[in-house]
Amino acid sequence: MTALLDTITMALGTLRANVLRSVLTLLGIVIGASTVVAMMSLTEGFRLKLTSDFAALGAGAFQVQKWPALQFGPHDHRKYERRPDLTREQGEALRELPHVAYVSIEEWARRPESLSTRERATKQSISVCGGLPDYERANGVDIALGRFISHTDVQLGRRVIVIGADVQDTLFPGQDPLGQEVRVRGVPFEVIGVAERQGSILGESKDAWAVVPWTAYERALGKVRNNNIAVVATTPDDAPRALEEVVAKLRRVRGLAPQEENDFEIFSNDTSAQLFDNLAKMVGAATFGVCALALLVGGIGVMNIMLVSVTERTREIGIRMALGARRRRILSQFLVESVVLSALGGLVGVLLGAGLALGANAIWQVPASIPAWAVIVSLASAGGAGLLFGIYPAARASKLDPVEAMRTE
Amino acid sequence: MDDALILVEDLCRHYVVGGETVRALDGVSFAIERGEWVAIIGQSGSGKSTLMNLIGCLDTPTSGSYRLNGADVQGLADDALADLRNKEIGFVFQTFQLLPRATALANVELPLVYRGMSRRERRARAEAALAAVGLTNRMHHRPNELSGGQRQRVAIARALVGEPSLLLADEPTGNLDTATGEEIIRLFDDLHRRGHTIVLVTHEPRLAARCPRAIRLTDGRVVGDGPGAEVATLGAARAVHG
Repeated sequence: MTALLDTITMALGTLRANVLRSVLTLLGIVIGASTVVAMMSLTEGFRLKLTSDFAALGAGAFQVQKWPALQFGPHDHRKYERRPDLTREQGEALRELPHVAYVSIEEWARRPESLSTRERATKQSISVCGGLPDYERANGVDIALGRFISHTDVQLGRRVIVIGADVQDTLFPGQDPLGQEVRVRGVPFEVIGVAERQGSILGESKDAWAVVPWTAYERALGKVRNNNIAVVATTPDDAPRALEEVVAKLRRVRGLAPQEENDFEIFSNDTSAQLFDNLAKMVGAATFGVCALALLVGGIGVMNIMLVSVTERTREIGIRMALGARRRRILSQFLVESVVLSALGGLVGVLLGAGLALGANAIWQVPASIPAWAVIVSLASAGGAGLLFGIYPAARASKLDPVEAMRTE
Repeated sequence: MDDALILVEDLCRHYVVGGETVRALDGVSFAIERGEWVAIIGQSGSGKSTLMNLIGCLDTPTSGSYRLNGADVQGLADDALADLRNKEIGFVFQTFQLLPRATALANVELPLVYRGMSRRERRARAEAALAAVGLTNRMHHRPNELSGGQRQRVAIARALVGEPSLLLADEPTGNLDTATGEEIIRLFDDLHRRGHTIVLVTHEPRLAARCPRAIRLTDGRVVGDGPGAEVATLGAARAVHG
């Protein structure tokens, strides 16, 4: 125990004697460790944030769409185009399913709209939906002012509109919007409700939308043939059952043979989380690639500096041997030095990476959360690189002949 | 003869250099008793450095036997040699051989570090050893902050701190001016009187003459062994007695 302590003290002593050289040597390891910690912190932060964001979409809710939401890699665009549209009738057919509570059938135009009053107009960035009262539950909307659209609004085709917080901010700053007129493509709608702010996800606002009764939407803006269908299960626990029922029902009403694959896409909180997990895995793999490379470069740097150190201290090694240091003692001295050096680099890297992640969090509100395992992995792999790349220089030191070694200048 | 501290019999050390065998030591025999102060004198190339390395357990002989304090050194493995150096031998070198970045105290502690002694105990011992050579107020200086004579005293303190059975000095005054060298020799004299066994390797007859006994080497053989004053003034190739 005393021996190990002595060896570590010696190692720290020599590192302190060569601060600049030690720092330069460690750059590779510092970069490797900080990359891992920063990237993993950001990924973890995004994951936590997205999990809560997606969860806010509505407990037990899932969506049915013709088009996949996000695609990676090569894909066949036409395969999706050939799919038949999701019709209103197909959506209505889901209402009879035992574990389905709400079915929100939504008509979304391909492009966002610009909404305007006499005084102001939004950018062409507001998604306008022709929907049903079920929209509120299926999309986790909370009403801040007024009310949501009702069945009567839909039946009568009333030109009423519920607006997201961004629309309120732009068109009615500091004013009461209820009863005011908003124009969509020149057609006036009466504001009956304003939604609570939902915030943003990956920098994209979740408040740039408006909903009007689908009947009014079709009359004023034209029919959208393909519908998005959002389904809410009777309880969150029933969501898997509801999902099965919906898939089975849709396959039947869309006339799919048993061997054919689904001609529609299902998105739930789970599939969104899965999607992100896949993304995170790719980021993680890339990070580890970068990190492994940096550690390799850093390790070679450490080996180089340790070889220089052995050469410089040949005489010292000779003296130590003459005074009774066994070869193994010399070996462990240089190994410990190499490990301590690299672990210090790892520590600096961890601090730097954590600083970068927290700095990005503070400056750009990027979510960040530092996972303990990333810190441990960084320190361990830095120390491991020191051990691995320290073996050769340490072995060389321990094999010196004391008489020859003491003779060098 | 059995309780001699050093017993060397027919010791040979041959090197092969460029296909040619160099007999650095060629059948050397002598015994040194406990408490003796012996100079090994010879010119460069006489084999005295080789002999010093063998006596110091830094090298192993080609043939012949060497017993140190009753232990047969011949055939010992590296680790055993290291332990023997640590326990039995205190080295004093011409070039001091101090660790440049370590304080005087840390330098003196070093042999005890390799003995696995606790920090507290080795510190106390190192302080005592430095006090014994008159360096109490220089303990926290580094070698480059010390004069040559002070450095050699640190080295002597380091040699003595482990209470070895043999003090082995290699030209200890070679890098010092005459006055400082004299100081160091007086220190050895003092140590000798207090019972230490000292082997001093030198090429200077003046130094060998100060020792009670001297062994003269020429071409790897003993050519003289007797009272220092006599052997020191010998012509190179004349043996006196065995």
